[in-house]
Amino acid sequence: MSLEQFKNRNVGTQNYRMLDLEPTPETGWGRFKRVAKRAVKLELFTGLKVTFREMIKALFGGEMHTVKYPFEKLPISPRYRAIHEMKRLLESGHYRCIGCGLCEKICISDCIRMDTRYDENQRKEVSEYTINFGRCIFCGYCAEVCPELAIVHGGRYETASEQRASYALFEDMLTPLDKLAEQKEYPGFGWISPDADEKIKKTPLAY
Amino acid sequence: MDGYIIGTIIKAVLILAIISALAGFGTYIERKVLAFMQRRLGPMHVGPYGLLQLVADGIKLFTKEDFIPSGANRLIFMIAPMITAATAFIALAAVPMLPEFTLFGVTVRPIVADINIGILFVLGMMAAGLYGPLLAGMAQDNKWGLLGAARTAIQFLSYEVVTGLSILAPIMIVGSLSLIDFNNYQSGGIGDWLIWKQPLAFILFLIAGFAETNRTPFDLLEHEAEVVSGYATEYSGMRWGMFFIGEYTNMITIGFLASLVFLGGFNSWGFLPGGIAIILKVSFFFFLMLWVRASWPHIRPDQLMWLCWKVLMPLAVINVTLTGLVMMF
Amino acid sequence: METFAFYLFAILITGLFAVTVMSRNLLYAMTSLAAGMVLISGLFFILGADFLGVVQLIVYVGAVMALYAFGMMFFDATGVIKEKNGSPFLVFLLGGMTAVLLVVIFAAPVIGHNVPSLYPPVAGADNPHAVGLVLFTKYLVPFEVAAVMLLVAMIAGIILAGKKMERSISKIDDSELETSGGKDDE
Repeated sequence: MSLEQFKNRNVGTQNYRMLDLEPTPETGWGRFKRVAKRAVKLELFTGLKVTFREMIKALFGGEMHTVKYPFEKLPISPRYRAIHEMKRLLESGHYRCIGCGLCEKICISDCIRMDTRYDENQRKEVSEYTINFGRCIFCGYCAEVCPELAIVHGGRYETASEQRASYALFEDMLTPLDKLAEQKEYPGFGWISPDADEKIKKTPLAY
Repeated sequence: MDGYIIGTIIKAVLILAIISALAGFGTYIERKVLAFMQRRLGPMHVGPYGLLQLVADGIKLFTKEDFIPSGANRLIFMIAPMITAATAFIALAAVPMLPEFTLFGVTVRPIVADINIGILFVLGMMAAGLYGPLLAGMAQDNKWGLLGAARTAIQFLSYEVVTGLSILAPIMIVGSLSLIDFNNYQSGGIGDWLIWKQPLAFILFLIAGFAETNRTPFDLLEHEAEVVSGYATEYSGMRWGMFFIGEYTNMITIGFLASLVFLGGFNSWGFLPGGIAIILKVSFFFFLMLWVRASWPHIRPDQLMWLCWKVLMPLAVINVTLTGLVMMF
Repeated sequence: METFAFYLFAILITGLFAVTVMSRNLLYAMTSLAAGMVLISGLFFILGADFLGVVQLIVYVGAVMALYAFGMMFFDATGVIKEKNGSPFLVFLLGGMTAVLLVVIFAAPVIGHNVPSLYPPVAGADNPHAVGLVLFTKYLVPFEVAAVMLLVAMIAGIILAGKKMERSISKIDDSELETSGGKDDE
């Protein structure tokens, strides 16, 4: 997209068509004429034509708009903030979290709880990490503040379950080892989404 | 005589079974057609293409709690849905559905009661059916119900007039009130159809038919956006289902009446045998009702009254007068 | 068979109209009235007067529905109506006397002379034709007088109801309403 196109901001007046509405008749004779004209012009059949055309298009033109939701899902934005995901290092498969505790500190609804300890190599190890999803407001601060891009928001929005703890444990959020190759990298909260180029549009400033 | 009685009973039971099943199936068709016109799929999950949705709805309606509000008049509350359903089926008794056919050597006439004033009987029974919504609305001690009942009174009373007057002109031409006579009058192919002689009466009858069956441009009785559910607000379970069956049966009846009186009835139509022809015609009217529902917005009560008394009724009277004058000279 | 049907209808109609008179509940009274009117058409059907039966059905269904509309406007449909009745004895006497008188007036000639039917059914003409023949020959004048009376009633009704039809409260200026309201207060 060139700069010229951005400079042309006159985008608001292109596809509008003014309706040629007559003023409401005041006299009885005028009203009568309007009724007679509308009845003879068969304006009502335009509506019937539109619905029938849509039906034909939907049935035979493949323009059915239904998404059979549990079986097929609409794509969501990569920046969508749903249940968190804990990422792994691609080379070693070890989790990325370094136990710095920033996410716990910044969490405004106090729903992250983590415990760390030193393992046998004197490396910091996360011994316990839970997010209480009964309290989480999905603000995204934890993902924003994480220095290692270890905690991000994923796209898993179907979070109905028998108990709140179902998604809350570190192991639940961590990328499974066998799916490591499929782990999607996303630079983190606040980044532009990967398909931003296709989505960008001119902002109509002048109407 | 005995054979006559037994035959009548068999016919009545058959019509009851088939038409109530069709009325239930009509709800499925309605959902599907409305869905397609809005580019949706409609019911898809119960059975192939959602065909068994009807069964699921039936189970739901039968097992739902039958609730009667504490302030309601219990007896009238319980009677009202039965009036709607019963009168709808009684009206069908005088409608000849198909041409005569021979089954196991017996000639069957698919009409329960061949009375020589068939069309008046059907209209009268449909008029009596108005007591269903009226009583339901008044008995349930609910203001939306009361509004629905008041709308029933004005809407149905007004449109009875238009129905009667619009069908008067064809009656004058045919010179009989029997629906079979109407059918026989138009036996000479498409050119004989009464719609060519009475186009205005056909349109008026169709509009009034929409109002009498409480279909969309005139569905003021239970319009959700205005009066919650109107006369059916407090109804649940099978009683509500009976209202529904009554309404859909009335739709089928209006379809039969319109095809018998104006569109040549069950006379064979080109290469099509008569039975299939009339089924096609009734299906078209049924589809038209759904089509209109998908296309047009409903109108205000004052517009409804305006349409009835200032447009349709004068037109109907003019039509009757003109027909009389043409027949006289 | 016909006798049985007649007595069945007769008992039902009498019972329903008794409910209409006795009941203090608006809905019961109205509904039994409507049901009685519908059942009367059954009597016509027994007599072979199909056309009159259906006319009875159509006309009275509409007429009673108009009564319902009035009942809906004046009373609480689900409650019991309290009547103010000064002297029950007088009401009973007058009502009972009138009823007995009416019955005697209409029943006495029938019992005394065994009235024959003035217009025996015309062979070949079916119901609506027969009604039309009688209506437009023998009873033409009463028929037309009744029609004129209905026309007069309709015009009177329109004039009574339509006096202020052109005046719409929503089209009057608010200031006008306020000033006139202010005057009333003073």
